[in-house]
Amino acid sequence: MKNSSPRFRSVATTLAVALTLTLAAAAGCDNRQDPPLPSVLDKLRESHIDGQPKIRVGVAATEPLMGELRNGTYVGFDIEIARYIAASLGYEGDQRIEFVSLATEDRIPALQGGVVDLVVSSFSITEERKKQIGFAGPYFVTTQEVMVPNRLKDKIRTIEDLRDPTYKICTSGGSTTEAELEKHQVKALVVKRVGDCVKGIREGRYDAVSSDETILAGFLSQYPTEFEIVDMPFGTSETLGIGVPIGDPALRDLVAFFLDKSYQQGRSGISSPWLTAYNRTLGPWMKGPKAQPQPLDVPKLVDFDDKAPRR
Amino acid sequence: MSAPVVDAPAVPATRDGGPAGPAWEGNDPAERRARASQSFWTAVVGVPAIFSVLRLGVEAGGELQTTLLLVANVGPVNLLAGFLTTAARLLSTGLVAVFALGAVLRVSVERMPAGARRPLFVRWVDITPAWFVVASFLLALVTWQLLYLPLLIPAFVAAFQLTPARLHEQVAPRLLLLAALFVGYAWLLAPTLRDAWRQGELLALLLLVAPPLLALGVTGPLPAAVIRPLASLTEAAVLAMLVWAALPVISTPVLPLTVTTVESTPGVTEDVRGHVVTVDDVNVVLLQERGGVRYVPVDQVRAQVLCPSEEELPRHRLRIRDFHVEDSLLEGTGRRVRPVHRIDAACRAVS
Repeated sequence: MKNSSPRFRSVATTLAVALTLTLAAAAGCDNRQDPPLPSVLDKLRESHIDGQPKIRVGVAATEPLMGELRNGTYVGFDIEIARYIAASLGYEGDQRIEFVSLATEDRIPALQGGVVDLVVSSFSITEERKKQIGFAGPYFVTTQEVMVPNRLKDKIRTIEDLRDPTYKICTSGGSTTEAELEKHQVKALVVKRVGDCVKGIREGRYDAVSSDETILAGFLSQYPTEFEIVDMPFGTSETLGIGVPIGDPALRDLVAFFLDKSYQQGRSGISSPWLTAYNRTLGPWMKGPKAQPQPLDVPKLVDFDDKAPRR
Repeated sequence: MSAPVVDAPAVPATRDGGPAGPAWEGNDPAERRARASQSFWTAVVGVPAIFSVLRLGVEAGGELQTTLLLVANVGPVNLLAGFLTTAARLLSTGLVAVFALGAVLRVSVERMPAGARRPLFVRWVDITPAWFVVASFLLALVTWQLLYLPLLIPAFVAAFQLTPARLHEQVAPRLLLLAALFVGYAWLLAPTLRDAWRQGELLALLLLVAPPLLALGVTGPLPAAVIRPLASLTEAAVLAMLVWAALPVISTPVLPLTVTTVESTPGVTEDVRGHVVTVDDVNVVLLQERGGVRYVPVDQVRAQVLCPSEEELPRHRLRIRDFHVEDSLLEGTGRRVRPVHRIDAACRAVS
């Protein structure tokens, strides 16, 4: 190639040797620089939980299957998710997690007041709430369903059946369900809690109850022989997220990162923490299989296990 | 770094087949060769040995008593094995650089003014057996990070003087062979190059693409005017590189990093991040990460986990055929044998 001209060859060699040495030097310098992307460890140091001996997680104590205090221990899907996130953040085992039982209306004030570090409690992601707290997720998508007692399971099958004035439909007040029923011209009797509806049906006062799929599944698990959930095509779906203080974006990023890690594991076909939590709690009571929804706004972080093979 | 030019009457070298080199005053070439051999092997054996001992001092946080504790508990075999696992990359880099530069300078040396002394690297290459050069390249092949592995191509081509002309005596088949090699290389790296481009990793892109092209031209000979400055410069550069790259190697721990959960009073646990120096019937001796030695009674230890250190965090998000670019071939293969590596929660909790 270059044999034609020895002079040209010498110059080419000099150039090649010089460039190779420069490249090697650049490689050496590059190797010593700090990583360009933030790591999980960097984010942990930025977040307010850095150095805390325990992590405080706000949960529900009275929602069967989601978050329930049973015989002194917390059980449910939200609890399992909270345990996974806490373990990922460095708080493994219940001795390092402080579960704080929160009523629905206390979730935002508890985060704002610094009473808890995280809230995992069927927290629907809404634009309104996003102004007050940070959300990581979603980690679950629920839809609206109807639960009927066994005696009516062949009679109430469609939204049209719900409009039949002979049936008394019950729902909880102030919920997204109430508005949705109204939209479908279903007259509903509004009570304070879904539990009251269930109690009313068992006493023969109501004929059906409409609410979130997860809440209904919880009651179904309590009375498995008495009820059935009927799948109806209501339009709305709600996404559940993990609440974090709005002033701690690093913690939000970490939670989103670990939710995404579980999501990616589930996609690659191996079992994921999410799937394990789901199968142990909600899974047997839900109609049809569910998969983890893709978390949004997931930051790119480097972690120690990034080098592990993907396939 | 380079030896002074000696203007003594040149005695033609009598080495078989080698280019005629100038002789050192009064010494015969055999003796000179023996001396060069001695200095070379001293460097190859002595540098690791000295590093190993220096590392203990650094690991102990500069404390004499702690250093003595480590010396008493870290056996020479452990020390050497520990050193080899962390410094094999540096060692092979140094050797590869010397052999590649030495070979290029050797073919160029005939253009040097008569009476000039052969550069140090050339003398080292002269006395190094071929098997040792091959072994150094093999060590580099399995220990270098994949991202830097392409640099081994020009180094190998230079060290063994594999000019394109050696592929085939005729031009057309030679070009075809070269084209086939390049197509194969491009096929291997195409997905990685695309990712690197998308991520804006220009240096990574350059490191993967440029070396095979440079390999076409690195074999030498170099113009006479360049030889001496290049020899001096590279000798200084290789030395500087060794010193510069040695600092992190010296500060790489000899002992594995663990987090030990200690329950000193009932119900109160504490995580101690550090290296286990030794365990006997009474105590677990921990060299704490933040400094100082701690003797923890064995019955107070509740749990112990192995943790990765922060230096192991990856810097790139590129993969070559599912091998991470910052893994060496050895590490990448290892990850396939034990694919799932979970980081224990305790490793994150203590910072």
